[in-house]
Amino acid sequence: MADGIGSSPDSEGQHNNFYTAQGASAGAASGDGGLKEQDRLLPIANVGRIMKHILPPNAKISKEAKETMQECVSEFISFVTGEASDKCHKEKRKTVNGDDICWALSTLGFDDYVEPMRRYLQKYREMEGDRAASGSHNSRANSVDARDEVRGEQQRYQSSGAGQLMFNAVERNNASTSRRL
Amino acid sequence: MRQAGTYSAILMGGIAGRTGPHSLPLARIKKIMKRSGDDVKMISGEAPIVFSKACELFIEELTQRAWMVTLQGKRRTLHKEDVAAAVMATDIFDFLIQMVSDSNGGQMAPAAKSDSMVVER
Repeated sequence: MADGIGSSPDSEGQHNNFYTAQGASAGAASGDGGLKEQDRLLPIANVGRIMKHILPPNAKISKEAKETMQECVSEFISFVTGEASDKCHKEKRKTVNGDDICWALSTLGFDDYVEPMRRYLQKYREMEGDRAASGSHNSRANSVDARDEVRGEQQRYQSSGAGQLMFNAVERNNASTSRRL
Repeated sequence: MRQAGTYSAILMGGIAGRTGPHSLPLARIKKIMKRSGDDVKMISGEAPIVFSKACELFIEELTQRAWMVTLQGKRRTLHKEDVAAAVMATDIFDFLIQMVSDSNGGQMAPAAKSDSMVVER
């Protein structure tokens, strides 16, 4: 069964993330493979990279550990989303938003995460506000789909180095004003 | 030991991180969110973005705790048993206990002595 490029420690570079071409293998861990696995888990290359960055340079990570981490993250997402969704349900709201996620994280014991995330979310909202104020098209960030994911991947490697939040990647407009930051 | 570099740099408008601001694919996150329950119908655009950050923090924390177990075993390769041990030793990761013990067949690495780890939260 092909492991996909992402599982090799030497090639965990940025080249592994063009999901369009390699989606079939990049996300598949051992086991049944195929579409179900891909939908259920985050890509092993991304997960592996985050792990690698937090560890000392001489550290090695077994493939099984990365796979286990993939499963853990998906479980984490489900767990937190479930809690946030329950809250929305109780409050008769239909849409789970960023604040609900922050609330759920805090409730479930991940309060250390809340502060960095609130700052991140605030920055994102400010950027969205800027874009709306400058008269560009409405943010299309709500319609995250496979195409946006691809564009996001391609966008990533064109980083201007200006430190802009690359939410532009999910935009469909290419207004130069959106690159102000 | 949190790596502050990548994201605080972005927040402060510094050098863009090597991995980009969203190191995890938003559409995939959204799919996983939708699978979490029937009453998860509508998800705002910002929720996957918030999650991409949260997941990163989660991966970092679990990895660091697992690495502590690896070091206790005087090893340099992080194995899944180390991840399992970190889960067992940390209260907030209780929701993962079933999952890691299933995949381990109920076994833990011999070096994983949770009583010697101070991982209270």
